[in-house]
Amino acid sequence: MLGHGRCPEQRPWPSITKFFCFFLFTKRSLPFAYLVFLMFNPPGFFWLLAQEMRVLWRGSMLVRSRRYVLGPVIVIGLLFQSVALLLAGEITRHRLPEPEMLLVANINLFFFFVLMFSRAMIAAIDVLYGRGDVDFLLASPIPPGRVLAVRIIGVGASVAAPWLLLGGVLANGLAVYGQYWALSVYPMLLAEGLLVAALAFALVVMLVGTTGPAAARRAGHTLALLMGVVIFALGQAPRFMGPALLTRFWQAFTPSPGAHGPALIFARAMLGQTMPLALSLGLSLAIFGLVWVTLDRRFANGSISAAAYRPAGATRRQGASFRAGPVSAVFMKNLRLLTRFPGVVSQTVYRSLTLVPVAMILAGRLRTSGGVEVAVPLLVFLSGQLGLFFISVLVGADDAPDLGASAPVARAFLRRAALGAAAYATLLLLAGPVLLVLWRARSLAPVLLVCMALVLASNLAVGIRLPIPLVRAFFGKGQTGTVLGLVVGVAVSSAWAFAAWLLVD
Amino acid sequence: MMDRNAALVVRGLTKSFGRNIVAGLDLRLQPGEFYALLGPNGAGKTTSLRMIAGLLRPDAGSVSVFGRDVWADPIAAKSIMAWLPDEPLLYDRLSPMEYLEYVAGLWRVPPRDARVRAEALMETLGLWPHRHERCEGFSRGMKQKTVLAGALIHEPKFLLLDEPFTGLDAASARLVKEMLQRRAAAGAALILTTHSLEVAERLATRIGILAGGQLLAEGDLTALQLRAGVSAGSLEDVFLRLTAGEKKAAAF
Repeated sequence: MLGHGRCPEQRPWPSITKFFCFFLFTKRSLPFAYLVFLMFNPPGFFWLLAQEMRVLWRGSMLVRSRRYVLGPVIVIGLLFQSVALLLAGEITRHRLPEPEMLLVANINLFFFFVLMFSRAMIAAIDVLYGRGDVDFLLASPIPPGRVLAVRIIGVGASVAAPWLLLGGVLANGLAVYGQYWALSVYPMLLAEGLLVAALAFALVVMLVGTTGPAAARRAGHTLALLMGVVIFALGQAPRFMGPALLTRFWQAFTPSPGAHGPALIFARAMLGQTMPLALSLGLSLAIFGLVWVTLDRRFANGSISAAAYRPAGATRRQGASFRAGPVSAVFMKNLRLLTRFPGVVSQTVYRSLTLVPVAMILAGRLRTSGGVEVAVPLLVFLSGQLGLFFISVLVGADDAPDLGASAPVARAFLRRAALGAAAYATLLLLAGPVLLVLWRARSLAPVLLVCMALVLASNLAVGIRLPIPLVRAFFGKGQTGTVLGLVVGVAVSSAWAFAAWLLVD
Repeated sequence: MMDRNAALVVRGLTKSFGRNIVAGLDLRLQPGEFYALLGPNGAGKTTSLRMIAGLLRPDAGSVSVFGRDVWADPIAAKSIMAWLPDEPLLYDRLSPMEYLEYVAGLWRVPPRDARVRAEALMETLGLWPHRHERCEGFSRGMKQKTVLAGALIHEPKFLLLDEPFTGLDAASARLVKEMLQRRAAAGAALILTTHSLEVAERLATRIGILAGGQLLAEGDLTALQLRAGVSAGSLEDVFLRLTAGEKKAAAF
């Protein structure tokens, strides 16, 4: 993990840093040069950071995927960049006045902040409770503060990465049209990621210290989930505000021309203004440094208390009734594993939440029989997504695949059992909404049930071959998963949902 | 022609992943025999066991267990086999009782027998107080004992044990050795791989030494001493002598 397999003489770092120090530092700044030299050498800060980034990269979805996904990812990337170029052209032609630009930048920064914070909280909890490599690092002679700092940077980079990819393509497009200020999105999002990760770690470490590991874990997960819900609700707020209220809202939050103030520093930085950009980066680094210096011991203590934590249900009485034959045994095992998967509730809620904006849009389009048919394409889409998720849990995160393989049952039987359990769980979850829709409009039954059956069958077939990547719950547990499955699954769900929409519209 | 009297017949088993991992392995075990397969790291022990268990398809060769071909009739062969890998095959989010229920179901053990056997195994292995706890909080040794209970619940006639004593304390290790010896006395055949030569010397009726994917020597301790040219040496002396010769040959 920390590169113990290579001897120090083979590492390129010492020679590079010696070269760097020799040319760039005078005799007067030799102590500083020596400090930099030490930081790059094992077990210095930058050396540890390089190891962290390597582990992060190798653990990332693209590298972890067993299937070949680089091609499709490049194609999708190029597609995004082409769309972003068109969008950038439009933005350049219709550039907003500065006050509106500042408002847009502030809203974006706020949304990025909340979404990144939600993910950083989960990641910080995983670092403390996921064990494995943190135990290993804290058992080494490396100061805990350095481990904490490197972890904050790692989490910051991973939570900022998706937004960097999305914002980056637009920034690149704007830069092509000569709007170089847009490139400031890169340092700004990285700084925001760092800030968010530092705050998330501080909150989790403080929670563990004050409320204990079990309550801290519950509080952290609840807070992260709530933030996701709030951000969706906020995103939809303009739809519920009347035009007059919406205009007043924009006017209230739009800064006056030439306005300067602390509230606009980040927005101005986002628009590429040098001084605010420097101030924003400085502030993020200062908060990161403060967390590093002040919370190092608490981080080590928090990690120790989290080590004693056992997940809820570990000592709860679990029922078992021996059944005849493999069918019921495998079915029960699959259902138990599904219900006990750590992310099952949050992932189901998350998948349902993603449909809120679509529901809002469709609600305006479909009004033929009281609006209830809006639910048809949504339920079809959700069936596909939940089926894909459940089959991925059973296939991708199987702790003991060899046990089934060594049993006297056909492999096809185990596959069918997994498919059956995933379909059963999906239908059980959606039974309530489906019955409600059918009670309100019985005529929708053929479209809804046929499309649900088709999307479920298609996405279960996708998931058994291309399980989607899941949260890496525990260090060292190998899980298969590919982003290609995610892309194909969403495409298939969308296609069937679109077909359902056409049929009911 | 299948030999129904032999517990295991392996002929010319071969597997390569770019380089030869197992090269033409031949083995024959009788019912009631306890066979220890020894070898240095990377000798091909686990690969051989996985091929015998029907988990890895060999490039060439055949495996039959009590006359049932593992690759032609896998379900019949697996129904009398148990596989205990070096890493416990366990579902962390199931309790030991639920795990045993699952394994018993897979091997079609009648429910009443399964419950009696599960309770007896958990009592014997000291798992009874933890029978309703999820395995995620278990120590390595407790996980190993749970998996061992799973391997024995269907009373297999042939057991493949890859480092079965890993993580067990001295008392548990002795208990497990006695349980395995009772299975052998009841007519089951066992193959075990271990790096503990003392365990192999005490438990096994026959020992095979594997290196570079080939069986270098096979027999009881006396036969191995003769083969290695170490007249009164321990198994450790014999093992080091034989595998050192193999290393020199590989280097050459």
